[in-house]
Amino acid sequence: MSPEARIPNVPRGRALTIVVDGVRVSAFEGESIAAALLAEGRRATRWTAGSGEPRGYLCGMGLCQDCLVTVDGAPNVRACMTPVREGLRVESQRGFGEWSQ
Amino acid sequence: MRSVGCVVVGGGPAGLAAARTAARYGVRVLLVDENAELGGQYYRQMPAAFGSGAALGRETREGRALIDEVRALGVETSLGATTWAIFDQRTVAIATADHTERVAAHAVVLATGAYDRPVPFPGWTLPGVVTAGGAQNLMKGYGVLPGRRVLIAGSGPLLLVVAHYLLQGGAEIAAICEAAPMRRLWRHAPRMLPHLDVVQRAYRYRGEIARAGVPFFTGHVIRRALGAGEVTGAVVSPCAADWTPLLGDRTFDVDTIVVGYGFVASLELARLAGCGERWDDARGGWVATRTREMESTVPGIFIAGDGAGVAGSATALEEGHLAGLAVAARFGRLTSREYSREASRGRGRLLHLAGLRRVLDELYRYGPGLSALAEDDTILCRCEEVTHAQAAEAVREGADHLYGVKVWTRAGMGRCQGRMCGPALGELIGRVTGRPAALAGVFTPRPPVKPVRLAALAEERS
Repeated sequence: MSPEARIPNVPRGRALTIVVDGVRVSAFEGESIAAALLAEGRRATRWTAGSGEPRGYLCGMGLCQDCLVTVDGAPNVRACMTPVREGLRVESQRGFGEWSQ
Repeated sequence: MRSVGCVVVGGGPAGLAAARTAARYGVRVLLVDENAELGGQYYRQMPAAFGSGAALGRETREGRALIDEVRALGVETSLGATTWAIFDQRTVAIATADHTERVAAHAVVLATGAYDRPVPFPGWTLPGVVTAGGAQNLMKGYGVLPGRRVLIAGSGPLLLVVAHYLLQGGAEIAAICEAAPMRRLWRHAPRMLPHLDVVQRAYRYRGEIARAGVPFFTGHVIRRALGAGEVTGAVVSPCAADWTPLLGDRTFDVDTIVVGYGFVASLELARLAGCGERWDDARGGWVATRTREMESTVPGIFIAGDGAGVAGSATALEEGHLAGLAVAARFGRLTSREYSREASRGRGRLLHLAGLRRVLDELYRYGPGLSALAEDDTILCRCEEVTHAQAAEAVREGADHLYGVKVWTRAGMGRCQGRMCGPALGELIGRVTGRPAALAGVFTPRPPVKPVRLAALAEERS
């Protein structure tokens, strides 16, 4: 998928940087983590505990629990319901995730 | 524990309308929504950080006006807050990221909305398969496209709206597959006359789709998402009148599949509070039992909008208004004469909208043949990774109710609490047992009805 999926001419918040799996990714204040990831063409947010298959953004309204990521060391955060902030650390998650510092 | 006049759960059209009407008559209202902004799905707002007035479409602008009105009336709001239970009839438990609160309400209006019907088909767990609602939220809420080359499959007018937003945003649509046959539309013409605005909008969207050269297939369903790791293609085929897939596969190279086969009412909180419900064949799902005042079978708990039974945003506005009126009347804020006059006007408008709804329900009537899409190894319960074959085996062994399949296979025990597998599992049970899907029942909701952080539960504020 092409890297930039942001629709042109839409007013956005202040530009900021988040860190996704150790890589710096630009985002805009107000965006959800899911919006920022999808805008960069990053679609798999986690790999399941059983089969290890990838999952990503599905319902976009906080119900399906498939876009879970680890945020600043806390696992199982819904990417679609959580806004980005400067310096936020997002890790795509394996299984049920682990707490880290 | 503090107490308020009325807690409204859900800040979409129904909840906003209920809050506005109740507050106009002087009722103290607390409006709770899980999102950072009011508006719900239909009126989805862009984040405040994008600047006031940021909007991609008319729904966002319409919603903004209603939200401004509600705020001007002094309605208290709790945003980013999950209503995770209703205890002792009307004690509403609300959690934010770091604390929880219980509020005693004299009246509760549940305006919890609906979500896209989850339809298991081979490959539906691949990243790149998104619901119609999810695609809309991404575009309307953040100005971000779900993909560059998209196939849309489902049924109903929302497919046209999603296509409109995708085309406006610069995405390419490979094809739109509407499951309904859409034949002999002229039959509905007389009943659509009072709703010409809706017809005109549909034709405008269809025109835009045609000008973009997007193939529009009626009587077609999604068969399979292709790809390893993420979506790289979609297979569609014709379907029978009940949406059972037929021979004639056709493959499209796409990076995204938008799926929208109608909606399921979010009845979990109502169910937890003990509100009665019944099966509605036309909608292929459960709807709340209500009086004409929008009151559920539990006194003081009202249910309005799509969260009671999916009927769209215009109906949701009227139902919310009626619920708000009834709440104000309970508080004696209007005379019984004023109440009867206002309520009968509202009911008149609802009756008008019901005419349109009946046509839409006939045109896009849910087709249970969709349950034939899943193959043996298709995941049915996404959380616990239970396959179609495992669930079907449980049913054949005698688990003829959702609860039985849950105990047998763990389907429905995961974080989504059965929201994603429940409807399809009900269909599967119906198919295997040869009995109506309604007899498969529902998953019993337990608090918290959505995952809440333990740290939040540990910090109760009063």
